[in-house]
Amino acid sequence: MVGALLGTRIRENRKALKLTQKDLAKIAGISASYLNLIEHNRRGIAGKTLNTIARALSVEPSELSDGMNQSLINRLKSAAIRNKQINTETNRIEEFAARFPGFARLIARQSDQINIRDEEFTILSDQLKHDPYFAEAMHLLLSNITTIRSTADILAGNSNIPTKTSKRFIDNLAEEALKLSNTAEDIFDYFEPTSEKQVTNLDLSPFELLLEKNSYYLKDLEYKKQTIDEILSSLNLSSEDHAKTKNSLKAYVEMVKNLPINSFLDVAVKHSYDAISLAKHFNTDILSICFRLAHLPKRSDIPKFGIIQCDASGSVLYRKQLNSFSLPRYGGACPLWPVYRSLSQPLQPIRAMLDMPMGDRFHTISFAYPTEAAQIGMPALTEAVMLFTPDYLMLPKISHTQTPQLAVGLQCTVCSRLECPARRAPYLLESK
Amino acid sequence: MKKSVVIIEDEPFIIEALTFLLENEGLVVRSISDGANAIDFIIKSKPNLVILDIMLPNVSGMKILEDIRSMDEISNLPVLMLTAKGQKKDRRAAEEAGVSKFMTKPFDNQELIENVKAMIKS
Repeated sequence: MVGALLGTRIRENRKALKLTQKDLAKIAGISASYLNLIEHNRRGIAGKTLNTIARALSVEPSELSDGMNQSLINRLKSAAIRNKQINTETNRIEEFAARFPGFARLIARQSDQINIRDEEFTILSDQLKHDPYFAEAMHLLLSNITTIRSTADILAGNSNIPTKTSKRFIDNLAEEALKLSNTAEDIFDYFEPTSEKQVTNLDLSPFELLLEKNSYYLKDLEYKKQTIDEILSSLNLSSEDHAKTKNSLKAYVEMVKNLPINSFLDVAVKHSYDAISLAKHFNTDILSICFRLAHLPKRSDIPKFGIIQCDASGSVLYRKQLNSFSLPRYGGACPLWPVYRSLSQPLQPIRAMLDMPMGDRFHTISFAYPTEAAQIGMPALTEAVMLFTPDYLMLPKISHTQTPQLAVGLQCTVCSRLECPARRAPYLLESK
Repeated sequence: MKKSVVIIEDEPFIIEALTFLLENEGLVVRSISDGANAIDFIIKSKPNLVILDIMLPNVSGMKILEDIRSMDEISNLPVLMLTAKGQKKDRRAAEEAGVSKFMTKPFDNQELIENVKAMIKS
């Protein structure tokens, strides 16, 4: 059904751009009558023609083809279920996504953003409950109030208190009231929105924002048309962010210096973009290759790679997500992802094909590595990365039939595998 | 002979207020603010009641309560826990450790006095 609507999506996108069939057919190098058949879902297309049409329509090929649409439809369904009070036409979601792809993407994106804010809100509440500073501040506050209340009651209820004692209690009250005022100010400062401590760590770091704006490929930095300092001066950062971003940019420069784009791409094509094989070829570690693969130019002939880097607790250190594979920033991801398994097998790459509940598939390489030498009595600190791509068909030398398949999800709330033993939260669409 | 109370509390102004209130009721009041020496202090003072905070320097009030209940000579001593940690889990932990009465800060002076009197009498 969804596949059959590929032509409809092409037609709607073409009309939105006010292109005629003739114009688009010319760009795609096909006849207008053939395009007409495609648009009426009477001919299928794939490969080069699909890529050319997608480029002409300024959309990703996957947005026209099935995978992306399934993901989009799933996100739209989630949005509908989360707003049950609005009577949406859920039986016509596919038609809606095909006829109004722009609005569909907008709704899905806004729904995703709301979900992220909800997640952040939960994390903030959790932080508040377990925040040692806040707990200490509240304890101080209660102590101050206890003294003031008890002392004031004594003064108010005992008319025959010796003058010396009375004076002493009044002094105590004044001192404690001052402490209370200071404690209250400290708490206010702590929650002041301009305070960096609470807020900035919830959003993307400046480096991640920079990468996101540039589709994760800093071309001018790679080709030395721009220096680190020039980039930094254009970002207007706090001193703390400046130092962090500078370090991240230095690491980026180091990566492109060691694996320069042109020579890397030539070899990568020959090795089917396989991180394990490329690491052997370049005599380097899999980690460096994974990061290089996740930071390639956005081109239709290069497979798209996403990456997630986490520490041994599963906390996300770095991530590049793809539209079809969103990564939660604060845990909550599917515990069956091989990146978590790799943490128990450092230095042993794990190759796996992830089967998502909605039928999307991702080829992955997961790899854990110690960050420093182990010390006696201390566990070795370990981190892990998972490189993933939905474009596994562009990796022809990797035998997908022999790659272990893993039935996983993104996170429990949007995963329809109801019997999954790893489930820790209900599936939001279950009631449907 | 006058009944006596030991206050184990690290806030000096709360100690002053409690001392005034209890002395006004004819009780002998002694206090200590460091949890580390609390048990020795109780044994020496032989009080009829202990008023105990939870958050104390060095040794927590909860540990002191457990120690009181595990030492034969003071194991039956009434203990009134007076704390800012008033969550259900704190109350449950204190009850499991054998607290006689649990009150949260800030407290009502009159209610505290009545509780102390009742505990000493029993």
